[in-house]
Amino acid sequence: MDVTRFAFLALAAVAVVSAFRVVTAPKIMHAALWMGFTFFLVAGLFVVMGAEFLAAAQVLVYVGAVTTIILFGIMLSEAAEVRGGRASVAAAEVPQGSTFWRRHVLPVVATLAFVGIMVAVYTSVPWPPMAGVGGDTVPQIGRALFTTYVVPFELAAVLLLIALIGAIVIAIRDDHREEQGS
Amino acid sequence: MMLPSGIPLTYPLVFGAILFGMGLYGALTQRNAIRILMCVELMLNAVNVNLVAFAATFWQAAAAGQVFALFVMTVAAAEVALALAIILILARREKHIDIERVHLLRW
Amino acid sequence: MVELAWLIPVLPLAAAFFIAVFGHRTTGQGDRVGIGAMSIAFLLSIGVLVDVMGGARLSQQFTWAVHGDLVLRLGYQVDPLAAVMLVVVTVVSLMVHIFSVGYMEGDVRYKRYYAVLSLFTFSMLGLVISDNLLFLFVFWELMGLCSYLLIGHYFEERANVHAANKAFLTTRVGDVGMFVGILVLFMAARTFRFDELTAAIADGTLSLPLLTVAAILLFIGPVGKSAQFPLHVWLPDAMAGPTPASALIHAATMVAAGVYLVARGYGLFAPVPQALEVVAWVGAFTALFAATIALVMEDIKKVLAYSTISQLGFMVAALGVGAYTAAVFHLMTHAFFKALLFLASGSVIHAVHSQNMHQMGGLFRKLPVTGWTWLIGAGALIGIPPLSGFWSKEEILLDAWHHNPPIFWVLVAAAALTAFYTTRATYLTFFGTPRDKHAYEHAHEGGRVMTYPLIILGALAAVSGFVAGPLASFVYFGEPHHASFDPFVFGVATVVWVVGVLLALAIYKFNLVSRRRIIQVFYPIWVVLKRRYYIDDVYQYVFVRGMIGLALVAGWIDRHVIDFVVNAVGWIARRVSEYVDDFDRGVVDGIVNGVGGAFVVGSRVFRQLQTGLVQSYMLVLLLGLLAGLAILVIGG
Repeated sequence: MDVTRFAFLALAAVAVVSAFRVVTAPKIMHAALWMGFTFFLVAGLFVVMGAEFLAAAQVLVYVGAVTTIILFGIMLSEAAEVRGGRASVAAAEVPQGSTFWRRHVLPVVATLAFVGIMVAVYTSVPWPPMAGVGGDTVPQIGRALFTTYVVPFELAAVLLLIALIGAIVIAIRDDHREEQGS
Repeated sequence: MMLPSGIPLTYPLVFGAILFGMGLYGALTQRNAIRILMCVELMLNAVNVNLVAFAATFWQAAAAGQVFALFVMTVAAAEVALALAIILILARREKHIDIERVHLLRW
Repeated sequence: MVELAWLIPVLPLAAAFFIAVFGHRTTGQGDRVGIGAMSIAFLLSIGVLVDVMGGARLSQQFTWAVHGDLVLRLGYQVDPLAAVMLVVVTVVSLMVHIFSVGYMEGDVRYKRYYAVLSLFTFSMLGLVISDNLLFLFVFWELMGLCSYLLIGHYFEERANVHAANKAFLTTRVGDVGMFVGILVLFMAARTFRFDELTAAIADGTLSLPLLTVAAILLFIGPVGKSAQFPLHVWLPDAMAGPTPASALIHAATMVAAGVYLVARGYGLFAPVPQALEVVAWVGAFTALFAATIALVMEDIKKVLAYSTISQLGFMVAALGVGAYTAAVFHLMTHAFFKALLFLASGSVIHAVHSQNMHQMGGLFRKLPVTGWTWLIGAGALIGIPPLSGFWSKEEILLDAWHHNPPIFWVLVAAAALTAFYTTRATYLTFFGTPRDKHAYEHAHEGGRVMTYPLIILGALAAVSGFVAGPLASFVYFGEPHHASFDPFVFGVATVVWVVGVLLALAIYKFNLVSRRRIIQVFYPIWVVLKRRYYIDDVYQYVFVRGMIGLALVAGWIDRHVIDFVVNAVGWIARRVSEYVDDFDRGVVDGIVNGVGGAFVVGSRVFRQLQTGLVQSYMLVLLLGLLAGLAILVIGG
């Protein structure tokens, strides 16, 4: 067992646990923090696999932006929830009757099945070993981005613009309209 | 900086599958809308892991894998912004973000 | 002229049809048409007779039916017997047609009367010229129908309807026997024709034992139609019909048809003496039997009816003893004088509006023409020379004496009684003091239409006896007959009628012996005679009530057994349909409803997919994806 493999396995193991805590943490704030931690670990995995640029981008985007915005979201939604009254949270009755199948059995079964199938497929194929990237990735990615994939690049930029505007439009508070609270 | 890789491809793939599975489970069962959003992010990360793994194995494919992963990241970020905007609207209207109690699709 | 013989029956047929359809538009409602047709027919028949007397004969056949290899060629023939009958029938019918204008004046069914009268004459004439048993049977039945229609002419009275039914049914019994006889003959000889049947007997195709049976069966028809014992009961009741119709049908023609049949088919009887014996005794017995009843009848028409039965017995007996010519001769003379007597009685009834002789009396002064013609007729009936009846009756007695003495004595006794009852009837009606003053005062002769026929018939009744000689060599069977004279027979006959007449006069005119005393002394016999030997009552109880009883039983069976079965079937059907209904409701509807219910349940299940929850939809998405994945992986 060489360093690379050990590093990978260690990072992976912790990442699994961290991801698990994202799903199961009772307080949502904790879950968000666990999510950030998971992102970080995934960035580490990228490094192990030789994608340094991507690791950097992962940290910047995910750990930096996404986690932050999620934290903001938690803050704002919690506030609305609190202002609405604890009753609305406590009185979280499920309108339907039995949710056993829908919420507990089937998701588990389906997920396990899916993962099982994928793992089975992965392990049954004789993959070649990971050769590792050839050379510095930054210039290679840059070159690819501005030559072969320039159109998707531009489109992605437009997409971001749209998302930005769209988010503002959706969330803007119209003071002329009747709003409950806030 | 280049690290010598000797990792079997199955490792990151299986890890990706597990990560994806956990994210999937959370998306299907959790009631808090933001938690669901976080699980979706997990799934997207798992996809990225897969892509990078394949890129590292088949480098001759001109970094397509990493570029693809880059795009995924971009879109994921945009998507989170929008999703949160919607969740905020929901929080304002219903005073809660328990999606189990939101069944406007079935009036 | 003889070739036109077929026209003779056709004319009254056409007249009958015309009267029935157009009668109400013609003057007199068709009586003139009937009289006209009958006059022409009469003249034609005279012409035919002259021709036949000159030796002409006519025989015409046409193919009636073809069945396999059996070809029936049937038609008509004119020979001496037929020619004589044609004249007799047409002349009597003509007289009746004319007389009815006066008698039936104002009748509500005048037109129908004349139509049926013509139809009947057609039937009788057709019968007379038929050359085969099949046609004869058809006309036989037709006459029965016309008789029924005429007897029931005044059908408002139930009694008249019963009389018509009785006549039809009684003769029907006779007809059945006759038909069986015809069939037996046909089965043996494969033919209906008289000449062919005679030939079949000659060459042995028709065996004598079989012929005996067939002949006796055949004779049953005349027993019915000619009112011989025991099928005589209808004739007295038939007096319910109009008197002129009775004159034609029940005196002169239809009842004579039975005699005619035996005469025409004599070739079937002659070879089998046993059959002839039966015929003779039936006739002789009937002659005496009917005469006894005539003694005590108080209805003038009933006297004449029983007299007719008796005289027919004479004719039948004559045929039975082989007196072919005598029988036909008597048929002729009897037709004239009996028709005359009936019409005269009709005149009397028309005058006093009653048929009961005990309410008459002394009418000779008020109805001279009727009276004188009646006397002629009565004399002929009794057999007083030189009237026609004497000649024919004499011949019969002669032949009876020569061939079958016991028959002779029976007939002599009948003749004695004939003299008695005829004188009785004559005296009670026309002489003595009138018993009903009112009726007597208003009595008067009918007009010329009524008196002229009486006169004509009177003349015929008087002189027709003189053709005895020529007739004998004209109408005969086998060899020509020769009219002969036997003093013994003449003496016996004369004594007998003189005694009868004197006895009657003694009782009724001179009152030497009180009528009441006689009735007192002979009371039991008198009652039996009055009740006509109770035969009518026996028939009523045995046959009529028997049939009614049978009908009631059958009705009971029908109601309780058959209807029970029918109702049971219906009940079963209803129960079955109830079960089917239950099945339909339970099973079939159950299935249909079940399908619907399944859909309801199914939809209730599937509705749960429509939760409106995003996570549910995601789950479904995942499951679908898994399915696709599974297929992909497993498939390849």
